[in-house]
Formats: sequence, C-alpha cells, structure tokens
Amino acid sequence: MPVTKVLTAGIGECDLRDIAVYRQRGGYVQLHRALTTMKSTDVLDAAEKSGLRGRGGAGFPTGKKWSFLPGQIPTRYLVCNCDEAEPGTFKDHMLLEETPHLVLEGILLGAYGIGSHHAFIYIRGEFKRGYEIFMKAVADARAAGFIGKNVLGTGYDLELTVHRGAGAYICGEETGLLNSLEGKRGEPRLKPPFPAIAGLYGMPTVVNNVETLAYLVPILANGPEWFSAVGTERSKGYKIISISGHVQKPGNYEVPLGTPVRELIEIAGGLFPGRTLAAIQPGGGSSACIFPENLDDPYDYESLAKAGSMLGSGAFLVLDDRTDFVQAAYNMVRFFAHESCGQCTPCREGGHWLETVLHRFVQGRGLHSDLEMLHRVSGTITGLNLCALGDSIEPFLKSVLKRFPEQFEARIQTVAV
Amino acid sequence: MVNLTIDGVPVSVPKGTLLVEAVKKIQQEIPVYCYHPKLGPAGLCRVCLVDIEGMPKLQIGCNTPVAEGMVVRTRGEKVDTGRAMVLELLLVNHPLDCPICDKGGECDLQDYAMAYARGTSDVADAKTSKPKGVDLGPTIVLDEERCVVCQRCVRFDELIVGDQQLVLKDRGHKDMIATATGEPYRHHFTGNVTELCPVGALTSKTYRFKSRPWDLTRTQTSCTQCSVGCRMNADVRGGTLLRTMSVESDDAISDGWLCDRGRYNIGYVDSPERITQPLYRKDGSFVQISWDDAFALWAKALHDAKSAPESVGVIGGGRLLNEEAYLLGTLMRAIGVRNIDWRAGVQRQATPGRFSGTLEQLESANVILVIGASPAETAPVLDLRIRKAVRHGGRRFDIDAQNETAALMAARDARSVALVWDGSDVALGARFHELLSGHASLSTFIAGEQGNARGAEALGLLPRDTSLDTAAMLDAARAGTMRVLNLFGVNPALNFSDPALVAEAMRATPFSVVTELFMTETAKQATLVLPVRSAFEKSGTIINATGELLPVEAALEAPVGVLSDLEVLIGLAQALDIALPTEEEVRRTVIAAAAQRSDDAFGDARYVWSQKQAVQAQRRHLFAGGGTSAHDVRIAALRPADSLAIPVGV
Ligand SMILES: Cc1cc2nc3c(=O)[nH]c(=O)nc-3n(C[C@H](O)[C@H](O)[C@H](O)COP(=O)(O)O)c2cc1C
Ligand code: SF4
Ligand code: SF4
Ligand code: SF4
Ligand code: FES
Repeated sequence: MPVTKVLTAGIGECDLRDIAVYRQRGGYVQLHRALTTMKSTDVLDAAEKSGLRGRGGAGFPTGKKWSFLPGQIPTRYLVCNCDEAEPGTFKDHMLLEETPHLVLEGILLGAYGIGSHHAFIYIRGEFKRGYEIFMKAVADARAAGFIGKNVLGTGYDLELTVHRGAGAYICGEETGLLNSLEGKRGEPRLKPPFPAIAGLYGMPTVVNNVETLAYLVPILANGPEWFSAVGTERSKGYKIISISGHVQKPGNYEVPLGTPVRELIEIAGGLFPGRTLAAIQPGGGSSACIFPENLDDPYDYESLAKAGSMLGSGAFLVLDDRTDFVQAAYNMVRFFAHESCGQCTPCREGGHWLETVLHRFVQGRGLHSDLEMLHRVSGTITGLNLCALGDSIEPFLKSVLKRFPEQFEARIQTVAV
Repeated sequence: MVNLTIDGVPVSVPKGTLLVEAVKKIQQEIPVYCYHPKLGPAGLCRVCLVDIEGMPKLQIGCNTPVAEGMVVRTRGEKVDTGRAMVLELLLVNHPLDCPICDKGGECDLQDYAMAYARGTSDVADAKTSKPKGVDLGPTIVLDEERCVVCQRCVRFDELIVGDQQLVLKDRGHKDMIATATGEPYRHHFTGNVTELCPVGALTSKTYRFKSRPWDLTRTQTSCTQCSVGCRMNADVRGGTLLRTMSVESDDAISDGWLCDRGRYNIGYVDSPERITQPLYRKDGSFVQISWDDAFALWAKALHDAKSAPESVGVIGGGRLLNEEAYLLGTLMRAIGVRNIDWRAGVQRQATPGRFSGTLEQLESANVILVIGASPAETAPVLDLRIRKAVRHGGRRFDIDAQNETAALMAARDARSVALVWDGSDVALGARFHELLSGHASLSTFIAGEQGNARGAEALGLLPRDTSLDTAAMLDAARAGTMRVLNLFGVNPALNFSDPALVAEAMRATPFSVVTELFMTETAKQATLVLPVRSAFEKSGTIINATGELLPVEAALEAPVGVLSDLEVLIGLAQALDIALPTEEEVRRTVIAAAAQRSDDAFGDARYVWSQKQAVQAQRRHLFAGGGTSAHDVRIAALRPADSLAIPVGV
C-alpha cells in the first residue's frame, strides 16, 4: 500500500498543536534555515525544482506562479487559501486542525519565498474549530519570534493576518477571495489583470492553497529532488486525497501522485460487499466522472485530463452501482447554482435552469425534450464564464448523462403534463 | 500601431485597443451588454464572444486587447453557438413583456436576440417572477425581471458619479439591483442609468408607458438649463416633449451625460399654467390684449421716454439665445437706452476672460479649487468633470476656512490648476484669481445661474461707463426716476438679493414689461406681460461656460399666441419703426462674439454692483418651487420628501 506520511506524519500519534512537540519533531527548522542561510529566490528555486503544483484545484506549477510577480514592486502579498469548500474536499481543514504549525510554517516560507512581508490566511467561516486551533498556533509562534518584526533576529519582518470568511464557495476562487478579504462583495474579478500583477489592494499577490504551502516545509527539509523523484512525468510528489462515497473507510490518505485509481479504492477499504463500481468523481465536485475502465489509470494530472476529467483538489468520490445518478447530478448542479455569485450570464442563468429541469427529473417529471436540452446546454456553457465556477456546473452531469442515459430516461413522465 | 485581422480584414489600431473597439474600425459590431465605452469592460454578460486563432476557448471581445498578428473572428459557427447560448440563457427567465416595456424598439436584448439568438425556446418551466415596479427613488422605477445584471448602473454610480448608491444584492439567479442602504436612489444624475440600462429594467417615472421610440420625433439641441449646455436629444410625440436624452458622442461638452435637471425638469413646457396671450394691467388687474396692442402700448411708453433714455432700463438676457440677446442690445441702444444688464440674481460675472479653460483641461487638472456655490448644484455635469479629474488622481478642494491654506499649497505644487467659481462674490473671485494668477497653467470656470449668461455678456448686455447696473436701475426706479423697465426672462422678485427693493421699484415704475412663460412673482407686478417661447420652441445659439458656441434647435411648436423673444423684439422694432440688423449680420456678430477672448479679469470694476449688498441672495431649489419648476407638473408629482436640491437658474 503506497500510503505515505509527509504532511500527515505524526497526526494521530502526538499533539502537533503543541508548538513544543512540533519543534521537537523538527518544526520551524526550515523557516529558521531559510531566513538565515537562504535567499528568497533560493526558496523559489526549490519550489520550482520540486515540480510542486498547486493543490487547490487548478494544479498550476507553484514556482512558476511565484515567478510572475513583477520584480520592481516591493510590496507584495502571500495569501493562503483555506476556504476549502469544493464538494468532497476535507484535507485543508484537517491540516489546520491537526498540524497548524506545519500550515503556518508553510505560509511563512511561502511569504519569504516571494519576498513578502505580509501574509494572509483566509479561513472558511465554518471552520470555527480549526480557526481557534490555528489562532493559538499563531500566538505561540509569535511568542517564539516566528512572526512579527525582525523574525528570529534576522531583520526580516513578516506579519500575518488571519481572516475568517462568511461561508461562500465562491470566496475560494482566488479573486473572489481577494475581494472578500478587502471587505467587498465576494465575487471574482475580471482577469486580466491577474493577482500576480494586481491582487490584494491592487498589489502583486500570490494565492496558494494550504496543502501547497505546507509541502514547502518537507521540500526544503529533504531537498526538491526528494519531491520530484516521486510521481509521474508532470505530477510530482505527494498529495492528500480525500476519499469519500461508497467505500468502507473514507478519509484523507496521503499518497504519491500516480498511484493507480484502483489502489486508492483499496486504501479506503474497498467497496462495500456485493457492490460494483459505477463511477468515480476523481477531482471534487467540479470534475467529470471516470469509470471502471479507468481503474488502472495512474491518479495524476495528465492521466485524469486524458480521461476527460481532472485531479482538481484531490477529492475522490466513489459511486457504486446503487447510485441514483439523476439525484446525484441534481445535487451537484444545485450546489453550483446555489453558490454562483450571479455576476455572469451562463453561470447564473444556466445553473439555475439546469437545476430546475433536473429537479423535475428527480420528481419523475422529465420531458423528452429536456434530454436534448440537457445535452446541449451542458455541452455549451463551459468556457463561456467569467470564472471557473461556471465551468464546474456541468462536467459531472454531462459525464453521467452520457454514461447512464437510461437512469434519466426512466424519470421521463409518461402521462401528459 | 498594432496590426491584426478581424473577419479577414486587416486592421491597424493603437496598442491597448480592446477588440470591441477595434471592430468598429471595419464598421462591424460586437454585441455588448455590460461593456460601455465610458464604463470600460466588466466581463459579465459574455455576449461579446469572439474566436481568436490559437485560443481554444472563445474570448470576450470587451476585455481582450489587440495583439500583433492576432486573427479574430466575430462570427462563425463557434462564436454563433456560444453567443446564441448566452442570449438563450438571458431569455430563460426574461419576462419578454416587450409590448408594455418602455424599452421596446430600442432594446439591446430585443435587437441581439433577433440578430443572434436561436429563435426557439426549450424552456418548459415557469419563469421566476420578481418584483416589477420597484420604486427606486424619486426618478426611477426598476423592473427586476427585465434586469440582465450587466451592472452598468452600478458602475455608473461607482465610476462616474462617485457615489455608490446602486449595488448588486443577493447572489446567483436571485441577485438584484438595489440601493446599498435601502434608501431612495437619489443624486443629481440618476436619469443616466435609464439610458445605460440596455434593457427596460430601469425606466424614468416621467416617461413610463408614454410612448414608443418609433413614435418619437428626435431633435438634437443643447440644454439651456445651466451654463454647461449639454448636447441633448429632445424626443417629441404628438406635439408633447416626452423626454430628453443624452448624446453619447458629445465628448466635448456633456461627456455623454445629462443631469436630472436637464432630463426631468422639462414638463413645464407643457404646463397648463403657461401664459399664451399678452396681459396688460388695467385698473389694477390684468386684461388680455392682442400682440398689436401690446407692441403699440410698449412702443408708446418707450417713445414717451425718448427724451430721457436714462429713465429706461433693461434687465435680463442670460436666458435668451445669443441672437435675441444681440437684438435686444442693438434695439435698445438704437433708441438711446444705455442701462442694460443681464444680471438679475446673485451672479455678477460669467466670463473668466483669458483664463477661460476647456472641459478637457478641467478633467486633467491636478488640483481643482471650488469657490462659491457648489458646481454640483449650479452646473451638475461640469461637476462630473471634476469628479473625473479626481478619479484620475486630481485633488479637489471645496474651499472653506479650514482647507484654504492646504489647497493653495497643493495648487502651488501642481502641474495644472483649475478654479471653479459661481461668479457671485466678486471679491472672493478676485482674491483667488490673484492668489493663483502666477500659476503657469491655470484654467478657470464660472458655473453660474443663467444658461446663456456668457452669451449675454459676450453680446454686450452689461452696463457701460456711467450707465446703471441692475441694482442701480432698481434703486433709481424706487426713487421714481425710471419710466420704463424691460425685463427679459428674469424673475428678480424671486432671485434678486433684495426682493423688497424689486417690489418697490416695480410699483414706482409707470411702465414695466416682462417676457415670461409663467406668471412669476415679477410678472405679477408688471404693467405688460408678454408670453414667450421656451428654449425647446425656438432655434438659435448659446455660449456655454467654457465659451463654446452651441446650437439650440426647436423641437416643438410653441403654444398658439406665443412668440419667441426674437419675434417680440422684431415686433417692437416695427412698432418703433427701427431697422434691425439682417439675419446675416446677426449671425456674423454672434460668431465673432463667441470667438473673441475677453481680457476681463476677476473683479473687473464693471462686475461689482453699484449698490452695497447687505442682503445675501437666497438660493432657490428645484423642488422648492422656484422659477419655472414650480410649474413642472410632472416633476412635482414625483417630488421627494426632501428636495433633490438642484437649483434652477433665475
Ligand atoms: C469556485 C472556485 C472555488 C475554489 N475554492 C478553492 C478553495 O476552497 N481552496 C483553494 O485552495 N482553492 C480554491 N480554488 C482555486 C483557487 O482559485 C486558486 O486556484 C488556488 O487557491 C491557488 O492555489 P494553488 O496554486 O496552491 O492551488 C477555487 C476555485 C474556484 C473556481
Ligand atoms: S462563473 Fe458564476 S461564480 Fe463565476 S463569476 Fe460568473 S456567475 Fe460568478
Ligand atoms: S427589456 Fe427588451 S426584451 Fe425585455 S421586455 Fe423590454 S423590450 Fe422586451
Ligand atoms: S438594471 Fe439595467 S443597467 Fe442595471 S444591472 Fe440591470 S440591466 Fe444592467
Ligand atoms: S460586453 Fe463583454 S462580457 Fe459583457
């Protein structure tokens, strides 16, 4: 079994929330080392060499993202995205609650890596427990001199602001997050300009996921080559997969990227007895399903893209043969329609329309003409939207509509309306 | 320059040009809802999709700048499918109540749906219903069902007005436009959102359910209600002025906007209270007389005073057209009259002389000093230019005792300085002029009371040498030495700083003539009241605050029996048997007057009242019942609890 323990090391074994325990296990050594012996750009180089890609959903190479910051502007911000609202994703708040100092050290390293003196973390409003745990960690780290003016006597100032969201999925989208952080309506910004050029308060900004930043710590500890040695061609290192659905032991499992899909199901205890696999949504609510024929595919960015889906945030939803895919598609679409900020037309109108029609199917009141409409609309709205939320409405629906048409046809009303 | 190909046609445009603008070069159009040249891109509606070679996804034309060698298609299967989808989606919950929608016939949703949509609908479910007659404030009604959420209205408030009242509330398909605070939507420029709104979601209370665009006759003219002189379209149906609309291309003057005074204070034209026949005071009450009798009586009174022209006075001109103002001066001087003054309120000066600036200078000024009355009240659209300057980094100081020093320091260090003054306190104007006159790039603006004050000044309606100004004329009249007072389009009984003096002067003057639309406070005290046309009923020119010569075109027939001031002057000239200049002479004089640069400085002696003014003038407000607005029945119907506070010119 390829379960590994990198970020998850020590969780469940000791109280990593205690700064003494965390330090005893080598915590904050990398921060100290970076600040005292490395230049900012050395951290960036390590990130780049490691092949680390964003763990928040888009999978963008982290070092490359950092390198977009314009050199001539000294004021720049690092923002850690801990909004984690992608359906099926539950890894970031686990890290926040179980190993808050690792998250914090990752943020501080990231900030140093981009030459920022002010980092922010945006914590989803519902994560009250995680927030409280993290606040204590911040206080302890501040007392130990890791945050504030003249960190560890190195002359480097590094401030941290912790912000709690108010519970909107769209505030996880990086520019929606920045607006929300600025106290504005949480709606994505028109790009360009991208955050690297004009982000938080108009200054160059990097937004990174909790898990992405946390990986900086082991990458610095073991060297970028240690990380890039694991994984596949373009998917390096480890990833925490949130496995849920019809498996016997759902949970977060940290594995090397490229682990076969089949093994992920096994790690999570396998299917329930007597059931067969129908579909897997491998990358969070935004992703299209893959099917039993993909069981031997490696779980990595490029293979999932080839299969018509994506790795996304690493939320792995297993659906067996008893699944009501009409209901499932309705749930998925309803989520996105509900979370749409409503700024742009396809997402606002399309999401609500699909939801309305699918609701009728759920009630057994579908129409033949609806089927054609569902195919047509779900096949067109992606790519037309201002942000990726609008592009996330239909992938699940479209994939199961194609795979399980009989389930939809069975919900067509037989008597006249 | 950047070279690209749009729909197979090579185009060359400056770097940074957005595709939506670049296509205009080849007489093509990309449909837009949220984009607006004055508001910029927002990327919300997604109808402006284009296909760019090498890009897998369709791109939005409104936020994509041109690039060298770019190959763009604005039509084709890919674009058409995407665009048709966007339109189909916009229509899913759209009420399509075009037959009762004010926008029908000039609606971008109708037009683009006809041009680009599928023409059929797969919608099998009931449309969501939303509130349809939301009272947003004194001027505007919102139909939430028709809103396409382009946020032009929101961005207008934010970017142009700088007073963010309208916002988007709620989210997803439930989102809607509302004021942030829930208070009524109220500022000086609200009406513009009804034009920006691409659909019939925001409509004017004054125009609701009144007409169809194809039933309107449009005349382009200039607004005469303040000294900015915004270009505007007057839309008339069946002899009734139904609305005034901005002229989007009017970059030079209005920047494409209108204020609510210019837009909504138009109902007076139609008022049943307008006078339509000359009125003559006989034994203490007015009787209707013919125009012939009116001219005869007036000519006789002037004739009788011929031996003593110093006993004749003329007040007014700032509400006349240039041609009328010129004829007024010429005719009166021909019979020896020298006491002529356009000023009848608190404004003393209209021409900033050689320091006169252009609106482009104003919007690019680094420091703007505002002295006297707020230009937001006196010349609203000029105030938008100041706000634009501020948006571009300029600093605005509305001068008071606290900020004067800071303002002058800022001005000293600024690259360009603008001074905006209401033209009333000459000593104040002179002081600031002196303080700033050393500045290399100073431009000054006088935003005063009367629309064509600068025209009246340029055409000589100011006292000369020893002749009397308004205050002196009124003084002399009270003392019993005035025999004839001629008042043209002014209401000093309301607007002059000392109304009691006006009343006594009128009473003591044997013959006083007032040309007016309504029985104003002043008209009621006159001997002869002559009904004249409004600015919508006559043609000519005006000179605005920045010295531009602007055309005024008649959009309407005047009520029967009503003459223009010009016709009144011609009638009088005939009765006096005096030859007037030819039309050509008038035209030439007006053009020359507009072109001439006066070297008058602030505080020039002739701008200072002869009489000591103890009483400070009162400002009258649009809804406080001053001037013509008291007679504006339509606007009165939507009178808010406390006034919009746009003062009307005297
Ligand atoms: C609707 C939407 C929701 C998102 N929510 C999250 C989130 O909760 N957490 C997150 O890290 N990224 C989220 N993202 C992705 C972010 O926009 C962004 O790509 C990410 O934070 C970048 O970090 P990374 O490069 O480290 O992955 C979301 C994106 C979209 C479109
Ligand atoms: S795609 Fe949806 S969530 Fe994103 S901006 Fe458009 S309406 Fe808002
Ligand atoms: S907004 Fe346009 S499409 Fe909608 S009802 Fe009015 S005219 Fe018709
Ligand atoms: S009310 Fe009109 S201008 Fe405002 S968002 Fe809606 S459609 Fe756009
Ligand atoms: S005009 Fe381009 S998105 Fe609306």
